[in-house]
Amino acid sequence: MSSKVSEKNASAQQTLDILYEMSQLLGTQLNKETLATCVGLIESGVNPDALAAVIQELRLEGAAQANTHAMGQPH
Amino acid sequence: MPSSLEALIYTLVPTSQTQETLRRELVSRCQGILSSYGPSNLERDLSQPVESIERRLLSKDPGGVDTLKFTNLVSRLSKQSVISKQTEIVSFLSAMSRTSSSSRPPTSLSRPTTSQSKSRQPSIRTPTLPVPPPLPSAAGKSKAELLKEWRRSKGQTPISEVQLLRDAIYLLQGISGTYIKFSQEENDDRIVFLDDPDHTVSASTKVLIHRLAELGYLYRRVDSFVREREAVNTVGMIEQSLCHYLQSQLNDYYRLIAVLETQLNAATTEDSNESGLSLKRLDVWVNEWRLRMRMMSVCVEGAKEAHGGALVNLIHSYTENGDPFVRTFTHQLLEGVSRPFFTTLHKWLFSGELYDPFSEFFVSVDSSIGPSHHSHPSSLPGGIGDHSDVGFGSGVLGDADDFGSKDAGIKLWESKYQFKETMLPLFVGGASGKKIFSTGRSLNFIRYSCHDSEWVSTREKMNEFHGSLQYSDISGLERSIDSAYRLASDRLFEVFIAKFKLLDHLSALRNYLLLGYGDFADQLMETLGPSLSKSANTLYRHNLTATLESAIRSSNAQRDSPDVLRRLDARMLEYSHGEIGWDVFTLEYKVDAPIDTVLDNLALEGYLKLFRHLWQMKRIEKTLDRGWMRVTSGAKTFIRAPDLEPEWHKIRIQMAEMVHFIRQLEAYCRLEVIECSWAVLIDFLNKREGDLDSIIEAHRTYMERLLKKIFLWNPRTGKEELVLNMVKDAFATILMYREATDNFYNFTLSEAARHDQLADIERGVYTGKVPESTQNASDLTARLHEYGTLFKDKIQMMVQHLQVHPDLDCRFLAIRLSFSDYYKKPDRR
Repeated sequence: MSSKVSEKNASAQQTLDILYEMSQLLGTQLNKETLATCVGLIESGVNPDALAAVIQELRLEGAAQANTHAMGQPH
Repeated sequence: MPSSLEALIYTLVPTSQTQETLRRELVSRCQGILSSYGPSNLERDLSQPVESIERRLLSKDPGGVDTLKFTNLVSRLSKQSVISKQTEIVSFLSAMSRTSSSSRPPTSLSRPTTSQSKSRQPSIRTPTLPVPPPLPSAAGKSKAELLKEWRRSKGQTPISEVQLLRDAIYLLQGISGTYIKFSQEENDDRIVFLDDPDHTVSASTKVLIHRLAELGYLYRRVDSFVREREAVNTVGMIEQSLCHYLQSQLNDYYRLIAVLETQLNAATTEDSNESGLSLKRLDVWVNEWRLRMRMMSVCVEGAKEAHGGALVNLIHSYTENGDPFVRTFTHQLLEGVSRPFFTTLHKWLFSGELYDPFSEFFVSVDSSIGPSHHSHPSSLPGGIGDHSDVGFGSGVLGDADDFGSKDAGIKLWESKYQFKETMLPLFVGGASGKKIFSTGRSLNFIRYSCHDSEWVSTREKMNEFHGSLQYSDISGLERSIDSAYRLASDRLFEVFIAKFKLLDHLSALRNYLLLGYGDFADQLMETLGPSLSKSANTLYRHNLTATLESAIRSSNAQRDSPDVLRRLDARMLEYSHGEIGWDVFTLEYKVDAPIDTVLDNLALEGYLKLFRHLWQMKRIEKTLDRGWMRVTSGAKTFIRAPDLEPEWHKIRIQMAEMVHFIRQLEAYCRLEVIECSWAVLIDFLNKREGDLDSIIEAHRTYMERLLKKIFLWNPRTGKEELVLNMVKDAFATILMYREATDNFYNFTLSEAARHDQLADIERGVYTGKVPESTQNASDLTARLHEYGTLFKDKIQMMVQHLQVHPDLDCRFLAIRLSFSDYYKKPDRR
C-alpha cells in the first residue's frame, strides 16, 4: 500500500519536473510551487486560458503592489 | 479550489497576505475572470497546442535546439499517467508563454517589420542563446538594409507586403488589385505594376507576383470557358461534364482563396509574422494549384477543337505522363468527363439504343434510313426527355413485296449505323470498339427489325444490377463488353436460326434454285420442257406457276414447310424477240425482312445466275438422255437399215462422250462445289460465333465460291469467262448434234420403211408406192460428223484450259473429263 503511494508520488514528482522544464523552456517565469498549484487547478477543471489570464492579472497586481510598497516604504 | 486560488494570490501578490481587503478583492476579481471564460470544454488534441508552440519556438530559434528539447519533453509527458488533462496543461503553458513574452521587450522575440525598422540588428535571437556576433558588414548593416536606406533617400517607399498580398489574392481571382492590374487591352494578359515613386516594388517581388499572376490568368481562361459553355445550349454532354468538373475544381480553388483571405485578415490584425502569410508562402501554397490550373487550361484549349470522343482521347493522352500528379489529375478528370460517354455506352451496349443527342459517341446514325423510333421513356434512366432513338425500323416488313425497297434490309444494316474511328476513346481500344459497335447494332437489329424487344429489355434490366461502367474499371469494362458481345451475337444467331429459320431458307435455296432436289427438277423439266421450247412470248406466268405447283406436288418437295413453298415462284425474265422459253425461264425465291439482310439482292441475283446455268446443264442432260434412249433402243431394235448401221455406231460413240462430259460436269458442280461450300457454311452457323456481319460475310463467301467454281471463273483479267463460254459452246454443240441425230433418225426411219416396202415388193405384196429417198444420207452424216468434231475440239480446248486453271478443283475437273488422257494435245497424238 505504502509502496504504491510512494510510487505515485514519485511519478507525480517526475511529471512536475517535466512540466517545470517545459515552462522554463517556454519562458513562463513560473516557479515550481505556482506551477504545481496551476496544474492542480487545471486538473480540477479550470479553463487554462482563463487561468493564464488570472496569473497575468495577479502578476500585474503584484507588480503594482510592489511599486506602491516600494514608494510607500520611504515614508 | 478557492484555497489553491488563494495560495496563488499569496505567491504572486505577497502584500495580500497582510491586507485582507486586497486579498478579498483579488479573489473576487480572479473568480470573475475564471467564470467569464467558462469551463474548459474544448476537446482538443494534444498535437494542436504542441504544434503552435513548436512553431513559435522555431521562429525564435532557427537552430531547432529548443524545439527538439520541447518535443522530447512532450513525448515524455504523454507517457505520464498522473495528469489527465495534458492538453489543457500544455495549452496553459503555451498561453503563459505568450503572455509573458508579450510583456518582454520586443527586440528579443518579434522580428522587426520592414516598414518600422527600428532595430538594425540581426533580429533572430532567443533569450536562451547568446547574442551572435554582429555581421561583418560596414556599420553592421546588411546589403538589403543599405538598399532600403538608399531607396528611402530617393523618396521611393516600397509597398508593404500586406498590401501586396491583398493584391496578389485579387490577382489569383483574375481581378485587378490596387497596385497591380491586369492589362486592360484585349488579348493582352500581362500584368501592370503601378509604378510611381511612392509605390515601388522590388524586382524580386515582381517576379514573385508574376508567378502568382499566372494562376490568375489561367483562372480567367478556365472560368471564361465554363461561363461561355454555360450560356450555350448546344454543348455536347462530354463537354458539359468537362465544364462540370472544371466548375467543381474552381469551387475548390475558391475555397483555397477564402482560406488565404482569412489568413491575410489575421495577418493584418495581428502580427504578420505570427500568422505566417507572405508572398513566398503564398507562392508555395498555390504551387499545386498552378499545375492543376495549367492542366485545366490545356484541356480548355483542347476542347475548343475536339469534340465528344475525340476530347476524351485528348485528355486520355495525358494519362501517359510520367508526373504522378498529372496522371492522377487526368485520371480524376477522365472519370468525370467520361461519365456521359459511359452512360451512352451502357445504353448502346445493353439495350442497343443510341442516345447521343450531340453526336459525340463513336457510333453515328443515319436517320434518313429507316423510320425513326421513340425509345421507351422508361428505358432511359432519369427520363432524359424526348430525344429520339432511331432504330432499324419496323416498316421494312410491309415493303417486302415491293421490289423497289427489296434491298432495304442489307442497306439498313450496313449503313444505318456508322463506326467513327476518331471518336473512339483510346482507352477502349480498337477491337473492343468494334465489338461494342457490333453488339449495339445487333441489339438494335434484334429489337427493331426482329421485334424481339422483350428479350432486350429484360436483359438490360438484369444488367443494371451488374453496376455501371466506369473509367477506373477498364478491365471490368472489357469483361462486360465481351459478355455483352457474346450474349448479343448468341441471341442474334438464335433469332435468325430459330425464329426466322435462316437455315430453312438457305437449304430451300439450295434445293430448289441449285437443283438439290433431283426429283423435283426432273419433274419440272418434264412438264415444262415442251412449252419452254416454244417462243418466249407464248409463255404465260400463270401457266408456269401452275406447272411449278404440280411439280412440287408430284415430288418430294411437297413435304417442305408451306412457308418455304409459298416463297417459291416461277417467272420469266425480260425477253427480246426470237428468244425461246429456255432462255427466259427462271425460278425465284422471295425473302423478306429481316432475312433479306443476309439474303440480299446481290445474293439472290447470284442464285438466279446459278440456277440458269444449272438448269441449262440439266436440260442438256435430259436431252442427251432421251437421245441416248433412241440411239440405243429404237435404232437398234426396230430400224432395219443395214447400210446406215456403221453411222449409228459412230453416233453412239459420240453421244457416249457427250454424256460422259455432262455427267462429269454435273457431278463436279454438285459434289465438289455445292456440297463442300454448304458444309463450310453450316459449320460456321453451328458455331454461333460473331454477329450478323459475320453471317452475311459467311454467306457471301459461300456465294462467291459457288459462282467462281461453277462458272469455272479464271481470275486472270480478260479471261474470266473463257472456260464458261467454252462450256456454253459445248452445250450449244450438243443441242445441235442432238438435232442432227433426230434428223438422221427420221431419215433412217423413212429409209427403213422404204426397205420394208422394197422387201414387200420382192415378196409380191403391194403396200403402196415406194417413196424416193428424199434426202441424201451423206448430207446428214456430214453434219453429224462436223458437230462431232466441233464438240471434240471444244472439249479438248476446255480440258487444256482447265489443266492450267489456278483453281485446284477446276484442275480436278480436267482430270475427271480426261481421265484416260483421251483429250490429249493434238501434237502428241
